[in-house]
Amino acid sequence: MTTAKKEVFNPIRINPETCVKCNLCDWICPGDLIYKEEDNRETLPVIKYPDECWYCGLCQSICPTNAITVVFPEQMIHNKTEVITLLGKVAE
Amino acid sequence: MAFAVNNRGAYTMSKDFIQIETDVLVVGGGVAGSMAAIPALEAGLKVVICEKGKVLDHCGSIGCGVDHYLTIMDSGPEWDTPEFLIKHVPELTDGIVDMEVAGRVIREMPRIFRKIESLGVDFRDRQTGDYYRLRSFGLPGTYHINFDGTDFKKHLGERVRKGKATVLMRTMVVQLLVKDNRAYGAVAFNFRTGEWTVIRAKAVVLAAGDVNRISQNASGLSFDSWHIPYNTGDAQAMGYHAGAALANMESVEATLTPKGFSCQGLNALVSLGAYFVNKAGERFMFKYDKKGENARRAVIADGVINEYLLGNGPIYLDCRHLPQDMLDRMEHTLQVDRYTLPAYYQQKGVNFREELVEVSVSELSIRRSGVYFRGSGLAVDTNGETAVEALFAAGDCATVSGGISGAAVLGHIAGEGVVQRIRASSGSLPALDLKALAQIRAQSEAHLQQESGLPWKDHEETTRQTVSDYVGVRRNDRGLRMALDTLCALAKREPTMKADDLHGLMRVHEAKNIRMNAEMMATASLARQETRTGSSHFRMDYPKTDDVNWRKFVIVERGANGPVTRTLSTDQPLSAAFSRGNTAVAA
Repeated sequence: MTTAKKEVFNPIRINPETCVKCNLCDWICPGDLIYKEEDNRETLPVIKYPDECWYCGLCQSICPTNAITVVFPEQMIHNKTEVITLLGKVAE
Repeated sequence: MAFAVNNRGAYTMSKDFIQIETDVLVVGGGVAGSMAAIPALEAGLKVVICEKGKVLDHCGSIGCGVDHYLTIMDSGPEWDTPEFLIKHVPELTDGIVDMEVAGRVIREMPRIFRKIESLGVDFRDRQTGDYYRLRSFGLPGTYHINFDGTDFKKHLGERVRKGKATVLMRTMVVQLLVKDNRAYGAVAFNFRTGEWTVIRAKAVVLAAGDVNRISQNASGLSFDSWHIPYNTGDAQAMGYHAGAALANMESVEATLTPKGFSCQGLNALVSLGAYFVNKAGERFMFKYDKKGENARRAVIADGVINEYLLGNGPIYLDCRHLPQDMLDRMEHTLQVDRYTLPAYYQQKGVNFREELVEVSVSELSIRRSGVYFRGSGLAVDTNGETAVEALFAAGDCATVSGGISGAAVLGHIAGEGVVQRIRASSGSLPALDLKALAQIRAQSEAHLQQESGLPWKDHEETTRQTVSDYVGVRRNDRGLRMALDTLCALAKREPTMKADDLHGLMRVHEAKNIRMNAEMMATASLARQETRTGSSHFRMDYPKTDDVNWRKFVIVERGANGPVTRTLSTDQPLSAAFSRGNTAVAA
């Protein structure tokens, strides 16, 4: 089984105009996904591992300038999965 | 490799390891870990906490605040006493419970509740100034305080910081140090800096939470899980390798979530009066339990699973009948537990106040199988100590678990147990085996050298699909054996797993821990030849609950070739199975 290569959805949108490059989003992310170069007020945070996001929004909640927006992907918003497919197979 | 004492005394460095000497090592800085640290710090002990996240201000299991807290308050009526709730624990757990430990946790609830209040947590309703207590999940009284616990964990973290615990952030513990069935520390690495640390401690508390990312969910996004996906059964796997006993590993837990977003909130929904209806508009939950939506989480999830299997899906959340003030409270409460839920509904374009919301069964996890006081994980005695001396466990990785308050109470009990254990112990700790330590590091870092090895995402996907297909909510002998074959074959490929960077190395260790837990779950499920608590352990080949033969714990331990099981009557505490004896160290 291999993981298919596909475009990775970015769960967090950071407004470069309002971001103050403060490191708080890097600091609070429980999954170690957001990396911000320390002591550099010029660089924006980077979502280094976007497919590992929990969509908890802690980064958005702590952002002092409301520069972060959590955006849910299509398969979370308009989910088409048949729930019964999650309920196992019967091994004969 | 040479160690040299630096000017801080406790810390030494070599080219391979930072060495820390401490009294207590806590693995996990969530509610259970913080509450374990507090009594140890109050007793004047040195405490080191290793935490994969970077802050102590949020709950380990749910990442945000807390919207409800289960406690006895001794407020007057009989139902609000420990003895009344203890009397109901057997029915709440379908008879599979360690009554000694559950009894102690329940008796300690009022004391720990008051202590948490003394740390600054305000459990009172902001408008009325009183406690707003609700009934849910089959409990025989209104034990859940519904409150705005946005800052609940901040107060606990603040106390830990004030106590001057050393907190190692972005640090993953990969192996415990154990000699002659006694724990004396652990090996960890920082996945930001690549620094390796060996912590030598007189006692270790495992409080790293539940097991997630272990089965498929509706969105197909493996990190979209009800509880935090960064809890990956690290404590259970390390405890197993260290020789500890685990129990109730056959039980899985699921909840109900908006379809597509695995998030918290079921407790708030049902306790505030929400209904679930099937595609015919039928409010069906009373078919499965006389308490309807107020039944145990396990029963609610089981009811929805059965409705889907009967072809009665989709299933919907229905809040349309609720008065506006209740809907206001619900809306406010839901975002305390999961900050992004209002944004989700907004982006989805659904108004849950006025419209039905389609729900899904969540992914599975190993936690406490949808019931209170029957945790799946490391077996502990009444002091929170495991079968390995000086190795403690609390929270969702221990065999008595009860949400936030269960973590808080057993965590505090374990912290006090640590103090007693250290005071009762004499002699020096074993010397560090430098060669063995170097090997642990070399084996781990070998994953960084693999150029064409097995990606951790592929490894995890195999575990998830195997669990979903054959170890989930419809089990039989053949399927479980097929699953074990796949999981064991996967284990053999683990030395070839590749990590692209230090963060990936942390995920490699997590993936191995998830697989280990899946193997323990499949092994325990195969052993329990009956069905217990509906879909939590549903054996299609043994569809009945068998109280004559299976009022027993299934205990999982490390054998020569992998996990082995044995059983113990639930008339006895799990500590009766400990080789170090079942006597908790005296206060």
